[in-house]
Amino acid sequence: MATLTTAPAPRVSETRDAGGAHLRRKKRLFWPFAAPALALYLAFLVLPTLATVVLSFTAWAGAGDTPQPNGVTNYTRMWASDSFQYAFRNTLVYVFLGGVGTFALAFLFTMVLRDMRGGKVVRAILFFPNIVAPVALGMFLGFVFKYQPGKQGLANFVLEHAGADAAKFLAPANVTGVVTASLIWASSGFYITILMAAVDRIPPYLYEDAELGGASPWQKFRNITLPMTWDVVGVAGVLWTINALKIFELVFVLAGPGTYAPPNQAWTLGIYVFDRTFGSNGTPDFGAACACAVAMIALVSVLVVLLRRVMRRDALQF
Amino acid sequence: MTLSSSETRVRKVPRKPRPAPGSRRLNPLRLLGSSIVWLFTAGNVLVLYWLVTAAFKTPVEIFTKPFALPYQWFHLGKPFRNFAYAWTNAGFGDAVLTTVVLVGLATVATVAVSAPCAYALTRLGVRGSGPLTNVVAIGMGVPFQTVIIPLFVVLSRIHLDNEYGLFVLYVALSIPFTVFLLTGFFRSLPDELEEAAALDGASPVRTFFSVMLPLARGGLITALTLNAIGLWNETLLAIVFLKDQAHFTLSRALFTFYGAASYQSEYGGLIAGVAIVVLPMLVLYLVLARRIISGLTLGAGK
Repeated sequence: MATLTTAPAPRVSETRDAGGAHLRRKKRLFWPFAAPALALYLAFLVLPTLATVVLSFTAWAGAGDTPQPNGVTNYTRMWASDSFQYAFRNTLVYVFLGGVGTFALAFLFTMVLRDMRGGKVVRAILFFPNIVAPVALGMFLGFVFKYQPGKQGLANFVLEHAGADAAKFLAPANVTGVVTASLIWASSGFYITILMAAVDRIPPYLYEDAELGGASPWQKFRNITLPMTWDVVGVAGVLWTINALKIFELVFVLAGPGTYAPPNQAWTLGIYVFDRTFGSNGTPDFGAACACAVAMIALVSVLVVLLRRVMRRDALQF
Repeated sequence: MTLSSSETRVRKVPRKPRPAPGSRRLNPLRLLGSSIVWLFTAGNVLVLYWLVTAAFKTPVEIFTKPFALPYQWFHLGKPFRNFAYAWTNAGFGDAVLTTVVLVGLATVATVAVSAPCAYALTRLGVRGSGPLTNVVAIGMGVPFQTVIIPLFVVLSRIHLDNEYGLFVLYVALSIPFTVFLLTGFFRSLPDELEEAAALDGASPVRTFFSVMLPLARGGLITALTLNAIGLWNETLLAIVFLKDQAHFTLSRALFTFYGAASYQSEYGGLIAGVAIVVLPMLVLYLVLARRIISGLTLGAGK
């Protein structure tokens, strides 16, 4: 590039002087336009992230105390603690199990919704949980799964009226499964919406052709829908990973008694950070919280890079 | 429509080809699929029905007749008892005002800062703006938990751990998503209009404000809506940075009320509180559903 541009450069600027001047004036606009947003981004996201990384190598009880460097102690101690192991495992469960469930559901819906009457209305209704505050969603689901003889929640109400026994859905042993199912229900609408928008862009003659050949819905999905929407599926996968990893309010409220943290077995990494920073049980430990925050960043980076590698395919032009 | 008229007997070329015989065949997978879709949809409608009716019920009715229409409060002649409780006793009245002002200003400020940035990154032809856009987009993947400790320490030291600090945070942390969304919109605009404006002697600044910004109006509305929904529902930062109950946001007030309401069995008020948080967003969504969906698609599907 460099060798090519050096020789003819003067002539170009000579002949297109007016255009060049305009281009220069345009370029002068770049920093005044971009600087405010970039400065805020730098000050409130980039620098604090770096500060968190630095602080994760210090012992710091919280505001009022001063951070003392202590190497990787926070990390080793965190890794050995029960609460972090629960949090780490649950977060992975939500990302993977929740992801498989959500995408399986979303794919099933793309097969059915494409040529279903009232599909647009159905899509709008399915999207609905995504506009609800996670706190409110957690409370609603808390009502659904409440176990209290005589005052059963919706799920147990239905179970008891069907002649079955009420179940302790939110007992520590079951809570991860219940949250995973709730997560799949609440988020599938978002991914259905994104995937369906991609499906709508596929030329209809491909489906017509497949129909003439008598292809089943599964064959159409396998041979048309999936390859044609692969890019969007990849982006949706990245979005899922990012969103599932930072899940906090939904679990905090659904599995917890209220403004206190839920039992350790229900924790996510987000709850771990929150509890170590502003914790209701025990004293704050900013060092440990920062270490867990760094673990979150590391996990999201690793998962996104892996996902992009797995999803890499030659782009289809259509 | 009637078959007797002679016109209909003349054979016309059908506008649309008939569906192929195979496509209308009932097959088990299709049946299973559409029944799951309908069950799911019905479930969501039921949730909404439950939420709205429960907000008018007594706690006993909520638990013993979850699917019935509200009776007791209507019978006593004070159907809005739960809403009144949430509004006054749980501080939702103050919170509505705080939330509307805070979310409104933060949303407008976010778009006002992000739109020029997105324009600069896409249309000024400056080298390195592609990678820079990616750097900003990476910010979408940073969990807020990661930045909360340094921000909390610094903001509380300069006494900004209140709604003013929260405003700045909301704007700053919404920037990656908004810039990313708007670069998609600006990139899709035609070059010709910009060139025409330049030929007519409009300065680049004027071109931006009187040509490009109005053209990107759809994108700006989408960005405003998505940010408004996101910030309206935001809880984590509000829990951390708001200390004064008089200036709680709605989701923060709901979070605080949850613990107390469970103790006092004030479930009616609690569900009314949930309804106060959810229903305005539902209305916004119903009005702007198409824009929201097109914005999501643009953000996600390139």
